[in-house]
Amino acid sequence: MEGIQKRYQAVKPKEPLGRLIPYWIHRLVILLSGLMVFFSPLNPGRVSELINENASLFTTALSFGTITNTMARPLKQGWILEGDIRALMLACALVVVGILLSAVGGCMSVGNIRMKKRGLVFPIAGSLLMAFGLYRIHTIGQHVSSLATELDKVSRVKPMTPDGWTVFAIMTGLILLTSLILLALYLPRKSEQKMEMEEKYRLFLMFLPVLLLTFVFAYLPIYGWRFAFYNYSIGDALTPDKYVGFYWFRILVENEATRRDILRVLTNTLAMSGLGIATSWLPIAFAVLLAEVRSTKFQRVVQTLTTIPNFISWVLVYAIALAIFSTDGFINSFLRNVMGQTGASTDYLASADHTWLKMLAWGTWKGVGWSAIVYIAGIAGIDQQLYEAARVDGANRFHCIWHITIPGLLPTYMVMLLMSIAGILSNGMEQYLVFKNALNADVIQVLDLYVYNIGIGNGQIPLSTVVGITKSLVGVTLLFAANGISKAIRGESII
Amino acid sequence: MSTVSATSKTNHDNRIKRSTGDWIFDLFLYILFGLFTFLCIFPFYYLFINTISDNSAVTSGLVNFVPVGIHFNNYVALKDVNELGNSIIVTVSRTILGTALMVITSAWAGYLVTKQKMWRRSLWYRALVVTMYFNAGLVPWYMNMLMLGLTENFLAYIIPGMVAPYNIILVKTYIESIPSSLEESAYIDGASSVQVFYKIILPLSVPILATISIFGAVGNWNSFQDSLLLMSNSTRLQTLQHRLYIYLNQSSNLAAAMGTGAGGMSTQAADNLLNSKVIKYTISMVSIIPILLVYPFMQRFFVKGIMLGAVKG
Repeated sequence: MEGIQKRYQAVKPKEPLGRLIPYWIHRLVILLSGLMVFFSPLNPGRVSELINENASLFTTALSFGTITNTMARPLKQGWILEGDIRALMLACALVVVGILLSAVGGCMSVGNIRMKKRGLVFPIAGSLLMAFGLYRIHTIGQHVSSLATELDKVSRVKPMTPDGWTVFAIMTGLILLTSLILLALYLPRKSEQKMEMEEKYRLFLMFLPVLLLTFVFAYLPIYGWRFAFYNYSIGDALTPDKYVGFYWFRILVENEATRRDILRVLTNTLAMSGLGIATSWLPIAFAVLLAEVRSTKFQRVVQTLTTIPNFISWVLVYAIALAIFSTDGFINSFLRNVMGQTGASTDYLASADHTWLKMLAWGTWKGVGWSAIVYIAGIAGIDQQLYEAARVDGANRFHCIWHITIPGLLPTYMVMLLMSIAGILSNGMEQYLVFKNALNADVIQVLDLYVYNIGIGNGQIPLSTVVGITKSLVGVTLLFAANGISKAIRGESII
Repeated sequence: MSTVSATSKTNHDNRIKRSTGDWIFDLFLYILFGLFTFLCIFPFYYLFINTISDNSAVTSGLVNFVPVGIHFNNYVALKDVNELGNSIIVTVSRTILGTALMVITSAWAGYLVTKQKMWRRSLWYRALVVTMYFNAGLVPWYMNMLMLGLTENFLAYIIPGMVAPYNIILVKTYIESIPSSLEESAYIDGASSVQVFYKIILPLSVPILATISIFGAVGNWNSFQDSLLLMSNSTRLQTLQHRLYIYLNQSSNLAAAMGTGAGGMSTQAADNLLNSKVIKYTISMVSIIPILLVYPFMQRFFVKGIMLGAVKG
């Protein structure tokens, strides 16, 4: 085996550093340009300040609605021509296509020499396309600006030269330059019969789209943390004079009202998570007791029917709550029509009494049957000989449960428990959002809901971002701590 | 195996005589589970009988356990509820498209991450798994979607959901349990990794793919939060659950809102139909029924899925 590997390595041509470095620069530039397509501050197509600050090059190329939603009046008055915007979108699309072509070339650059050579056609064509697109953007920008000057509406149209344009122009130049250097380096070289690529790179390139999606939707949001350091409200530009450093972090602890809010919200969050953790043994009890039922058919029916609530949304749970507990719901009409009670109906959902317990009850109703499945399967996996031996020794069913079943389920329970401790700050917002009303608003608001309310509801982007950052960091710390505990106790990690 | 049954294992031998205590305990168990099961399904039953009963009886609260004067006009009347049809179309499309794309991506990615040969495999895999436990927060996520132009845009329902790390791990774990000799013999016969995926891995992974499709479909059908956050200004793109949430919070003007649609009917019929309580119940029922319908067939997949999830990836 080792011999084969050595032989293979000997056959594989080693590229000298002089050739590798231009390639790495080449790929890096293409990758960066590809990411910049989604990066709104470097939108080369933002020829007027009226174009949405949050639009990236990608959005500018695709969505007429997004870029024009802030310029309805200038468009109607003819200060900006719709034809210019359309042409701008086309030019941006050309740049995007150019980057895509370059990306194809970048992917081919990990192949063999024949593939490398062929692959260079793409970035050369791509960068020329990008250059043309950027040139078009420039002329359109000039046209917009000259029209505005002509009509004396410069203050309304606010033409600008976007920083992104320069950056993209530099990138285009770099792609073209590196491609030409590589062409000069590789053209004289003898190439193989067929285009080929090493298996490891082929697998990686096939996986690349998944990675890019992950990056865009899971890692790119971290870039939004910058809002925490600015005095920002939606629609603003992030100019240096708006930079406030850790001001919002200080507000969080120093501002009287905010601190009171946070403390109240934290109390709710910890109380409801705490109640959840305190009752986390319920699914085990459910599973253990269900296993004690003699009729298999009954077990199946119970298990099937009690898992249904897990699969309906919280909005539907609320719809059910309304149907049962509101003034004209089941309980009230049952009391009135069947039990003969007279007097006013009670709206059980409207009061703030026992809100934490009510939320716990809904959570249990929805989840206990489902959570029990893991333990039911766990019970099925316990060695039967243990039970037989215990019974021979005179144990009754409670002894069996206490000394065999429960210890058998404990490892699974520990994992679940540690995970729920790690997630103590994240109890989601849907449940609390749907059950929230004017009366219970103070006791039902958990951290996630608070972030939603102040961030999306009130538009306090920086403060809600600060709360979000803190929550994320605490969450990760707790997770690592839980993992550490698990490693120390069970010798196994949970993540 | 439709449910995980533990009876055969722990049930006590019938030869052992049952004491009085045992009898009482058994009775207690039947009552306990019977009661809880009742609590789990009665609300659905209650909603249902109220949607098919005589509407005046419903209004006076006379429908508690049995339907009165059965009719299905309420379901017909839903066609006049503003935007409901749109939201059903949106929800059905995202359920089909979103689930299909998610399953394809998960199958493909799950297969690729089993490939030890991939360049820097463990690094990419870790980068993927980390996203399950860490997120930047709601508002940065929202600002990101804004930056990508995915607000008020149907694609926002489809694209972000394509990469689902948990499902990828499930598929990966499943594929790893397939004997590697199958794959190896295909390679010896000259198949490429793409061919191996289509001809060998994909047919063998049908059970796990069915499981994640069900999870994905239920998730898409129940989706509420993304619609709430991203589609606040475009009513025609809101999902069914979001519409339902809006209807539930409209106190009583729902009936008034659809009054124009029912204008042609006789006064009595209109009175019978334009009952906001019943309409809310009926809309709720419409969004529950698909889940209740697929549920009995899919339960074994759910169970399989959670068991696989318990086996760490």
